[in-house]
Amino acid sequence: MSIPSLLQWIESTDLSTAIREGALPYPIIGGIHLLGIALFGGMLLMTDLRLLGWAMRRVPVSDIVRQFQPWKWAGFMVVVASGLLLAWAEPIKLYRSPAFWVKMALLALVGVHALVFRARVYGNTTELDVTVTGEAKLAAAISLLLWAGLIISGRLIAYDA
Amino acid sequence: MSDPSFFEWLSTSPWANAMNGPEWAFPLVQSLHFIGFAFSIGTIAIVDLRLLGWAMPRQSAAELAADLAPWTTVGFVLMLITGPLMFSADAVTYHNNASFQFKMTVLLLAFLFHFTLHRRATRAGVLPLTAKFAGGLSLLLWTAVVAGGRMIAFV
Repeated sequence: MSIPSLLQWIESTDLSTAIREGALPYPIIGGIHLLGIALFGGMLLMTDLRLLGWAMRRVPVSDIVRQFQPWKWAGFMVVVASGLLLAWAEPIKLYRSPAFWVKMALLALVGVHALVFRARVYGNTTELDVTVTGEAKLAAAISLLLWAGLIISGRLIAYDA
Repeated sequence: MSDPSFFEWLSTSPWANAMNGPEWAFPLVQSLHFIGFAFSIGTIAIVDLRLLGWAMPRQSAAELAADLAPWTTVGFVLMLITGPLMFSADAVTYHNNASFQFKMTVLLLAFLFHFTLHRRATRAGVLPLTAKFAGGLSLLLWTAVVAGGRMIAFV
Protein backbone atom coordinates (compact mmCIF):
# COMPACT_ATOMS: atom_id res chain seq x y z
CA MET A 1 0.00 0.00 0.00
CA SER A 2 1.47 3.35 -1.01
CA ILE A 3 1.60 6.22 1.46
CA PRO A 4 -0.98 8.42 -0.34
CA SER A 5 -3.48 5.58 -0.51
CA LEU A 6 -2.85 4.69 3.13
CA LEU A 7 -3.53 8.30 4.13
CA GLN A 8 -6.65 8.35 1.98
CA TRP A 9 -7.85 5.16 3.63
CA ILE A 10 -7.32 6.72 7.09
CA GLU A 11 -9.31 9.78 6.07
CA SER A 12 -12.12 7.59 4.77
CA THR A 13 -12.58 5.72 8.07
CA ASP A 14 -15.66 6.59 10.10
CA LEU A 15 -13.54 7.67 13.04
CA SER A 16 -11.54 10.12 10.93
CA THR A 17 -14.68 11.59 9.34
CA ALA A 18 -16.42 11.88 12.70
CA ILE A 19 -13.54 13.83 14.29
CA ARG A 20 -12.99 16.00 11.22
CA GLU A 21 -16.57 16.87 10.39
CA GLY A 22 -18.39 16.82 13.72
CA ALA A 23 -18.79 20.13 15.50
CA LEU A 24 -17.64 18.91 18.90
CA PRO A 25 -15.08 16.05 18.69
CA TYR A 26 -12.20 18.09 17.27
CA PRO A 27 -12.28 20.93 19.84
CA ILE A 28 -12.91 18.46 22.67
CA ILE A 29 -9.96 16.24 21.71
CA GLY A 30 -7.87 19.36 21.10
CA GLY A 31 -8.91 20.58 24.55
CA ILE A 32 -7.83 17.30 26.15
CA HIS A 33 -4.48 17.55 24.30
CA LEU A 34 -4.05 21.05 25.73
CA LEU A 35 -5.19 20.03 29.22
CA GLY A 36 -2.56 17.30 29.20
CA ILE A 37 0.05 19.98 28.52
CA ALA A 38 -1.43 22.27 31.19
CA LEU A 39 -1.83 19.73 34.00
CA PHE A 40 1.34 17.71 33.50
CA GLY A 41 3.63 20.22 31.80
CA GLY A 42 4.21 21.74 35.22
CA MET A 43 5.65 18.47 36.52
CA LEU A 44 8.04 18.19 33.61
CA LEU A 45 9.10 21.81 34.09
CA MET A 46 9.60 21.43 37.84
CA THR A 47 11.55 18.16 37.48
CA ASP A 48 13.93 19.73 34.98
CA LEU A 49 14.20 23.05 36.83
CA ARG A 50 14.95 21.12 40.04
CA LEU A 51 17.76 19.26 38.30
CA LEU A 52 19.10 22.60 37.11
CA GLY A 53 18.93 23.85 40.72
CA TRP A 54 16.43 26.62 39.99
CA ALA A 55 13.23 25.30 41.58
CA MET A 56 12.09 23.41 44.69
CA ARG A 57 15.57 23.22 46.14
CA ARG A 58 14.29 22.20 49.58
CA VAL A 59 12.88 18.99 48.12
CA PRO A 60 15.30 16.12 47.39
CA VAL A 61 15.70 15.29 43.68
CA SER A 62 14.67 11.69 44.34
CA ASP A 63 11.36 12.83 45.90
CA ILE A 64 10.54 14.97 42.90
CA VAL A 65 11.54 12.53 40.18
CA ARG A 66 9.89 9.50 41.80
CA GLN A 67 6.67 11.19 42.90
CA PHE A 68 6.10 12.99 39.59
CA GLN A 69 7.03 10.05 37.36
CA PRO A 70 3.64 8.23 37.31
CA TRP A 71 1.80 11.50 36.71
CA LYS A 72 4.16 12.61 33.98
CA TRP A 73 3.76 9.22 32.35
CA ALA A 74 -0.04 9.44 32.56
CA GLY A 75 0.06 12.96 31.17
CA PHE A 76 2.30 11.89 28.29
CA MET A 77 -0.15 9.09 27.46
CA VAL A 78 -3.09 11.53 27.47
CA VAL A 79 -1.23 13.91 25.15
CA VAL A 80 -0.08 11.12 22.80
CA ALA A 81 -3.51 9.44 22.65
CA SER A 82 -5.35 12.69 21.96
CA GLY A 83 -2.63 13.68 19.48
CA LEU A 84 -3.06 10.39 17.59
CA LEU A 85 -6.81 11.00 17.32
CA LEU A 86 -6.20 14.53 16.01
CA ALA A 87 -3.71 13.14 13.47
CA TRP A 88 -6.16 10.42 12.45
CA ALA A 89 -8.67 13.15 11.54
CA GLU A 90 -6.50 14.82 8.90
CA PRO A 91 -3.48 12.72 7.93
CA ILE A 92 -3.13 14.19 4.43
CA LYS A 93 -2.91 17.75 5.75
CA LEU A 94 -0.31 16.64 8.32
CA TYR A 95 1.71 14.71 5.75
CA ARG A 96 2.11 17.95 3.78
CA SER A 97 2.86 20.11 6.83
CA PRO A 98 6.56 20.89 7.47
CA ALA A 99 5.78 21.79 11.11
CA PHE A 100 4.28 18.33 11.65
CA TRP A 101 7.51 16.68 10.51
CA VAL A 102 9.56 18.97 12.73
CA LYS A 103 7.32 17.90 15.60
CA MET A 104 7.77 14.20 14.75
CA ALA A 105 11.54 14.65 14.56
CA LEU A 106 11.50 16.29 18.01
CA LEU A 107 9.37 13.44 19.30
CA ALA A 108 11.95 10.97 18.00
CA LEU A 109 14.60 12.99 19.85
CA VAL A 110 12.52 12.65 23.02
CA GLY A 111 12.92 8.89 22.54
CA VAL A 112 16.67 9.29 22.06
CA HIS A 113 16.77 11.47 25.18
CA ALA A 114 15.07 8.70 27.17
CA LEU A 115 17.49 6.07 25.84
CA VAL A 116 20.52 8.17 26.69
CA PHE A 117 19.51 9.66 30.04
CA ARG A 118 16.74 7.59 31.55
CA ALA A 119 18.80 5.04 33.43
CA ARG A 120 21.72 7.31 34.30
CA VAL A 121 19.73 10.38 35.38
CA TYR A 122 16.06 9.75 36.07
CA GLY A 123 16.65 6.23 37.37
CA ASN A 124 19.66 7.17 39.44
CA THR A 125 18.24 9.81 41.76
CA THR A 126 19.81 8.59 45.01
CA GLU A 127 23.17 9.73 43.70
CA LEU A 128 21.63 13.02 42.52
CA ASP A 129 20.42 13.75 46.06
CA VAL A 130 24.08 14.22 46.97
CA THR A 131 25.18 16.21 43.94
CA VAL A 132 23.35 16.94 40.70
CA THR A 133 25.79 15.82 38.02
CA GLY A 134 26.58 17.84 34.94
CA GLU A 135 25.04 15.04 32.92
CA ALA A 136 21.75 15.43 34.82
CA LYS A 137 21.76 19.17 34.17
CA LEU A 138 22.40 18.57 30.49
CA ALA A 139 19.52 16.08 30.40
CA ALA A 140 17.23 18.65 32.05
CA ALA A 141 18.23 21.46 29.69
CA ILE A 142 17.72 19.28 26.59
CA SER A 143 14.39 18.07 27.94
CA LEU A 144 13.17 21.66 28.40
CA LEU A 145 14.26 22.62 24.88
CA LEU A 146 12.60 19.57 23.33
CA TRP A 147 9.39 20.26 25.22
CA ALA A 148 9.27 23.92 24.13
CA GLY A 149 10.06 22.84 20.56
CA LEU A 150 7.19 20.34 20.62
CA ILE A 151 4.76 23.03 21.74
CA ILE A 152 5.92 25.57 19.14
CA SER A 153 6.01 23.11 16.23
CA GLY A 154 2.64 21.70 17.30
CA ARG A 155 1.08 25.13 17.26
CA LEU A 156 2.63 25.93 13.87
CA ILE A 157 0.90 22.90 12.30
CA ALA A 158 -2.37 24.83 12.38
CA TYR A 159 -0.76 27.58 10.29
CA ASP A 160 0.77 25.35 7.60
CA ALA A 161 -1.14 25.41 4.32
CA MET B 1 -22.02 45.69 25.77
CA SER B 2 -19.36 48.35 26.10
CA ASP B 3 -17.86 51.06 23.93
CA PRO B 4 -16.93 49.36 20.64
CA SER B 5 -14.50 52.11 19.65
CA PHE B 6 -12.09 50.93 22.35
CA PHE B 7 -11.87 47.47 20.76
CA GLU B 8 -11.53 48.99 17.29
CA TRP B 9 -8.71 51.19 18.51
CA LEU B 10 -7.09 48.17 20.20
CA SER B 11 -7.16 46.12 17.00
CA THR B 12 -5.32 48.89 15.11
CA SER B 13 -2.74 49.50 17.86
CA PRO B 14 0.95 49.03 17.03
CA TRP B 15 1.16 45.74 18.95
CA ALA B 16 -1.98 44.43 17.20
CA ASN B 17 -0.35 45.30 13.87
CA ALA B 18 2.78 43.44 14.95
CA MET B 19 0.65 40.39 15.83
CA ASN B 20 -1.10 40.57 12.45
CA GLY B 21 2.16 41.16 10.58
CA PRO B 22 4.43 38.17 9.98
CA GLU B 23 2.72 34.77 9.75
CA TRP B 24 4.72 33.33 12.63
CA ALA B 25 3.87 36.09 15.13
CA PHE B 26 0.51 34.75 16.31
CA PRO B 27 1.49 31.06 16.65
CA LEU B 28 4.71 32.04 18.44
CA VAL B 29 2.86 34.18 20.99
CA GLN B 30 0.29 31.40 21.32
CA SER B 31 3.07 28.91 22.06
CA LEU B 32 4.40 31.22 24.77
CA HIS B 33 0.85 31.34 26.13
CA PHE B 34 0.87 27.52 26.32
CA ILE B 35 4.27 27.52 28.03
CA GLY B 36 2.84 30.13 30.41
CA PHE B 37 -0.07 27.96 31.43
CA ALA B 38 2.14 24.91 31.85
CA PHE B 39 4.04 27.00 34.41
CA SER B 40 0.97 28.44 36.13
CA ILE B 41 -1.74 25.81 35.82
CA GLY B 42 0.83 23.00 35.91
CA THR B 43 2.25 24.14 39.24
CA ILE B 44 -1.24 24.86 40.64
CA ALA B 45 -2.24 21.32 39.61
CA ILE B 46 0.69 19.88 41.59
CA VAL B 47 -0.60 21.64 44.73
CA ASP B 48 -4.17 20.55 43.92
CA LEU B 49 -3.15 16.91 43.56
CA ARG B 50 -1.39 17.20 46.92
CA LEU B 51 -4.49 18.75 48.51
CA LEU B 52 -6.52 15.85 47.15
CA GLY B 53 -3.97 13.45 48.64
CA TRP B 54 -3.11 11.92 45.26
CA ALA B 55 0.50 13.09 44.74
CA MET B 56 3.65 14.14 46.61
CA PRO B 57 2.70 12.59 50.00
CA ARG B 58 6.21 13.24 51.34
CA GLN B 59 5.82 17.01 51.12
CA SER B 60 3.13 19.10 52.78
CA ALA B 61 0.76 21.22 50.70
CA ALA B 62 2.08 24.29 52.50
CA GLU B 63 5.66 23.47 51.55
CA LEU B 64 4.75 22.73 47.92
CA ALA B 65 2.63 25.87 47.62
CA ALA B 66 5.48 28.02 48.96
CA ASP B 67 8.10 26.41 46.70
CA LEU B 68 5.94 26.56 43.57
CA ALA B 69 4.41 30.03 44.02
CA PRO B 70 7.22 31.91 42.19
CA TRP B 71 6.84 29.60 39.18
CA THR B 72 3.07 30.00 39.22
CA THR B 73 3.69 33.75 39.08
CA VAL B 74 6.12 33.34 36.16
CA GLY B 75 3.33 31.56 34.32
CA PHE B 76 0.71 34.18 35.23
CA VAL B 77 2.96 36.99 33.97
CA LEU B 78 3.65 35.15 30.70
CA MET B 79 -0.07 34.52 30.18
CA LEU B 80 -1.09 38.06 31.08
CA ILE B 81 1.34 39.42 28.47
CA THR B 82 0.62 36.95 25.66
CA GLY B 83 -3.15 36.73 26.24
CA PRO B 84 -3.89 40.46 25.79
CA LEU B 85 -1.50 40.52 22.79
CA MET B 86 -3.55 37.81 21.05
CA PHE B 87 -6.77 39.54 22.08
CA SER B 88 -5.60 42.83 20.56
CA ALA B 89 -4.94 41.17 17.21
CA ASP B 90 -8.68 40.76 16.67
CA ALA B 91 -10.23 42.57 19.64
CA VAL B 92 -13.70 43.24 18.19
CA THR B 93 -14.26 39.59 17.24
CA TYR B 94 -12.91 38.16 20.49
CA HIS B 95 -14.87 40.42 22.78
CA ASN B 96 -18.09 39.24 21.11
CA ASN B 97 -16.98 35.58 21.19
CA ALA B 98 -19.10 33.53 23.63
CA SER B 99 -16.21 31.18 24.49
CA PHE B 100 -13.94 34.14 25.17
CA GLN B 101 -16.56 35.68 27.49
CA PHE B 102 -16.94 32.31 29.24
CA LYS B 103 -13.17 31.98 29.60
CA MET B 104 -12.78 35.46 31.09
CA THR B 105 -15.58 34.82 33.59
CA VAL B 106 -14.08 31.52 34.78
CA LEU B 107 -10.60 33.04 34.76
CA LEU B 108 -11.76 35.80 37.09
CA LEU B 109 -13.33 33.20 39.41
CA ALA B 110 -10.20 31.04 39.23
CA PHE B 111 -7.97 34.01 40.13
CA LEU B 112 -10.21 35.09 43.00
CA PHE B 113 -10.35 31.54 44.33
CA HIS B 114 -6.61 31.02 43.90
CA PHE B 115 -5.57 34.07 45.91
CA THR B 116 -8.16 33.67 48.68
CA LEU B 117 -9.70 30.33 49.69
CA HIS B 118 -7.21 28.13 47.80
CA ARG B 119 -4.28 29.88 49.45
CA ARG B 120 -5.84 29.36 52.89
CA ALA B 121 -6.52 25.70 52.15
CA THR B 122 -2.81 25.03 51.62
CA ARG B 123 -1.95 26.14 55.17
CA ALA B 124 -1.15 23.63 57.86
CA GLY B 125 -4.01 22.51 60.09
CA VAL B 126 -6.76 22.70 57.48
CA LEU B 127 -9.41 19.98 57.66
CA PRO B 128 -8.68 17.22 55.12
CA LEU B 129 -12.12 17.59 53.59
CA THR B 130 -11.64 21.34 53.12
CA ALA B 131 -8.26 20.70 51.49
CA LYS B 132 -9.78 18.10 49.13
CA PHE B 133 -12.64 20.40 48.22
CA ALA B 134 -10.25 23.29 47.47
CA GLY B 135 -7.98 21.06 45.36
CA GLY B 136 -10.88 19.64 43.37
CA LEU B 137 -12.54 23.00 42.77
CA SER B 138 -9.23 24.54 41.71
CA LEU B 139 -8.59 21.75 39.16
CA LEU B 140 -12.14 22.18 37.86
CA LEU B 141 -11.85 25.95 37.48
CA TRP B 142 -8.51 25.85 35.65
CA THR B 143 -9.73 23.00 33.44
CA ALA B 144 -12.69 25.19 32.49
CA VAL B 145 -10.32 28.08 31.69
CA VAL B 146 -8.29 25.91 29.28
CA ALA B 147 -11.40 24.35 27.74
CA GLY B 148 -12.98 27.78 27.25
CA GLY B 149 -9.77 29.02 25.65
CA ARG B 150 -9.66 26.11 23.22
CA MET B 151 -13.28 26.71 22.20
CA ILE B 152 -12.60 30.36 21.20
CA ALA B 153 -11.33 29.19 17.81
CA PHE B 154 -14.38 27.01 17.19
CA VAL B 155 -17.40 29.26 17.83
